[in-house]
Amino acid sequence: MEVMLTVDGLEKSFKDKQALKGISFEVRKGEIMAILGPNGAGKSTTIRNIMGIMYPDKGSITFHNHQGKEIPRHKIGYLPEERGLYKNVKVMDILLYLADLKDYPLDKAKERILTYLKKFDLEGKEKVSMDELSKGMGQKVQFIGSILHEPELLILDEPFSGLDPVSQELFKDEIRNLANNGTAILLSSHQMNLVEEMCDRLFMIQNGQKVIYGTLDEVKTKYANFKCTIRGKNNVRDLEKISHVQRVEVKEESAVLYLDQDVHPTNWLQNLPDYLNVSELKMNRISLHEIFIDIATNKNLIQEAGDINA
Amino acid sequence: MRNSMKVARWEVRRNLKNKSFVIGLFLTPLLIIGFGLLGSLFESDDEPTETAVFVNDQIEIYDLLVQTVDNFELNWTLNETTLSENEVQSALEDTEDTAYIFLTGEALESGVIPVYTADEMDSGFSANVQLLAGPLQQIRISQLDLTEEELAIVSSNVMFEETSAEELASAGEDSVISENPFEKIAPGLFAGIIFFAIVMTGMMIFQSASQEKKDKIAEIILSSVTPGELMNGKILGYFVLGMVQVLVFLVFVVPFAVWKIDEPIIEYLLVPETLLLVFIAVLGYLLFAAIFVGIGATLSDMTTSGNFQGFVMMLPFLSFVLIAPVLGNPSGMVAQVASYIPFTSPGVLIMRLTVLDEWPWIEIIIALAILIISIVLFMKLAGKIFKVGILMYGKNATPGEIWKWIRS
Repeated sequence: MEVMLTVDGLEKSFKDKQALKGISFEVRKGEIMAILGPNGAGKSTTIRNIMGIMYPDKGSITFHNHQGKEIPRHKIGYLPEERGLYKNVKVMDILLYLADLKDYPLDKAKERILTYLKKFDLEGKEKVSMDELSKGMGQKVQFIGSILHEPELLILDEPFSGLDPVSQELFKDEIRNLANNGTAILLSSHQMNLVEEMCDRLFMIQNGQKVIYGTLDEVKTKYANFKCTIRGKNNVRDLEKISHVQRVEVKEESAVLYLDQDVHPTNWLQNLPDYLNVSELKMNRISLHEIFIDIATNKNLIQEAGDINA
Repeated sequence: MRNSMKVARWEVRRNLKNKSFVIGLFLTPLLIIGFGLLGSLFESDDEPTETAVFVNDQIEIYDLLVQTVDNFELNWTLNETTLSENEVQSALEDTEDTAYIFLTGEALESGVIPVYTADEMDSGFSANVQLLAGPLQQIRISQLDLTEEELAIVSSNVMFEETSAEELASAGEDSVISENPFEKIAPGLFAGIIFFAIVMTGMMIFQSASQEKKDKIAEIILSSVTPGELMNGKILGYFVLGMVQVLVFLVFVVPFAVWKIDEPIIEYLLVPETLLLVFIAVLGYLLFAAIFVGIGATLSDMTTSGNFQGFVMMLPFLSFVLIAPVLGNPSGMVAQVASYIPFTSPGVLIMRLTVLDEWPWIEIIIALAILIISIVLFMKLAGKIFKVGILMYGKNATPGEIWKWIRS
């Protein structure tokens, strides 16, 4: 796949704090690349450096497909984390203005605005003033504004924050759609479940450093070991004695058993001791969400997985 | 530049569609006209109260008095009366705006004419009645049997005529001094209005920048344009809005002024001086616009603006403080120094050039050069402040921080 954007060795400091410590990744045509990380990890800082809103201390940002040093602004769509729109203007006016700033032909823009408003359940709202829209509606308008000019590269900073589940699905589908049509998409989020469902590759960042970088499958097989959740009263010692169990977390009636990387799930289940008190049993992989929480709270789950892997 | 134009166009359109802006646009000139009319209403209220003046004429100069009253267009109704001084008191009781003048041979000789007035009198009466002194004096002199030469000497007053050294030097060219003063003031007044209107509109830049920050629009816009383009677009856009305000103002006020003031105002405005004065006004706008847009970008909440920002907002009004000293002595020290300080020079220059007969070209050129250099400088500084400030959410910048941005 064609690489659209390369970020190489990005470093940025604020006062005495180093926000980015050598961030490198690339975004390819037609893929959804997610930057994940807890609050303050450096996601927005990375994105702002890409957009030329801040300048990195070190490192380079290359837009392929584009000659010259400037950022090809009209080929990029950007939905910032801190976002809003003018209050006292009509939806159509502000969207046309945004399209005009991107040098997108206005008649075409008008058509696309109406299509997208319909798609996002905002049909007939084009003449409504922005301050009459709800927050969620406003977010939809902002999103439309960022994709209106058919960008080659779409950068979305926390696109799902503040959206209800229905709107989240809408956004998700549209983002997937755009990627299928060849748009390179870079999105940041801390809503793991959504990201897990839609991204092709991910870059997890903590304290301005890379923690994980790879395709979703790679990351899952590499880091997301199996875990087994058992409901029922059991002795922790007994549970720990079971083979392939790395560690056990007990919460009231249920216990979570984190398993080794090379465990074979069916075999392992067959070999469970008879004396276990099982009222409910669940077997699944550690989700991105858990990996993420682990990183954010500096637990050692990944470390262990990584160590064993290494 | 193309992007700046787009931003400018947007700001203009956005504001023209905004109800409160449009209302303000028409309200200002209407208020001015309204106050103008209000003033004349009060005037006409006073006019109908004529003063009834009764004259007990024993020296037969009543006709002369009538003539004098006509000449000065006094609002009097003159009547002859034979009432004696003893009966005056009862006659004046319960009357308003009534006066009795007793012209007797005795009084003429002593030079003290008794006038009895009602308690409620028109405020101008005491001054008006003195106008009658002239003709009466003439009569007294003519009774002395003087030769015509002597008559001329006696009847002409002694006067002091003051001439300053400067006037003395330019006395040769001073032939047109008796021209209508309004002709000279008109271009300056016009430029002053433009200056004031666009600086007031310039204040909106400040709000616009601050609002942009508050509504978090800046980052979306900055993904399409550079901060410099955004800033220039705003300055340009609000300039156009200012001109729209001036235009609306003129459309309303000029016809009103033409009707109210009996002068060919439009003719007075179409002189080359207007061009330079308007140019100075535009320069003044650019300077303050640059300052406002920069400061606006440092504030996310106007209500919590600190002293520093408040002080900067007051800068355009510095020239108003200087109105009295500058108009009092347009070539004086204060006026000259203020012409060289960029914050005051637009206003002060407009005032001075309006009042001065001879334009000090060297001073003007130096002042304009300083002003233009300052504009370039402040635009650069504002650009730096704007770039950082517009993206700093949630808090106002301190002067220390602003200084750091400027230095970086």
